[in-house]
Amino acid sequence: MATLGFRTANKRYKRLFWPMMALYVALILTAKWLVDEDTTPLWIRAGFAVATTAPLVAAIWAILRQARETDEYTRARQMRALAEAGAIVACGAFLVGFLQIFAVIGTIEVFWFGPAYFIAFGLSYYRNCMGPTV
Amino acid sequence: MKNILRALRTERGWSQAELADRLDVSRQSVNAIETGKYDPSLPLAFSIARLFGRGIEDIFDDGLDTATAAE
Repeated sequence: MATLGFRTANKRYKRLFWPMMALYVALILTAKWLVDEDTTPLWIRAGFAVATTAPLVAAIWAILRQARETDEYTRARQMRALAEAGAIVACGAFLVGFLQIFAVIGTIEVFWFGPAYFIAFGLSYYRNCMGPTV
Repeated sequence: MKNILRALRTERGWSQAELADRLDVSRQSVNAIETGKYDPSLPLAFSIARLFGRGIEDIFDDGLDTATAAE
């Protein structure tokens, strides 16, 4: 495992994560302004969908790279938060899925599981900061 | 695992952040080790021991004496 230490790993994380978030916001705003569901050609809509996903993939990669490169305690906390977030979102996905199958609720866009994962990750990470540690 | 990291650090007048800087770990790591919430890996324990010019067993105590451990 290529551990670089807390400072270097943090610097490398910020150098990739924040520009990707800025690009993501810029792409979302551009798409909102340019794309019309009814009139915009399919290939342009598909292009925006892929282009908007790309910075998010890069941001997720930055998180995983930081976890790989940072100090052992921070890594343990991050991995725990990533795992807990995955478990929470999986439980949520099952619940929503069954509510839909049994016709209790209408359709919910799959997209929302993405932000839900990041929110769960953030909450889990900061809960671990305050409570018992690994 | 018990340790005397806090005592060694304050002896030198370092804050947790300063010690974290010297070890290139987060301040939270230092706090977790000092409070016994986290046991460092062997490489980090060696780094800590080197920084303070002590042996690992002088800083960390697993609560077992040598005779008990040998049995």
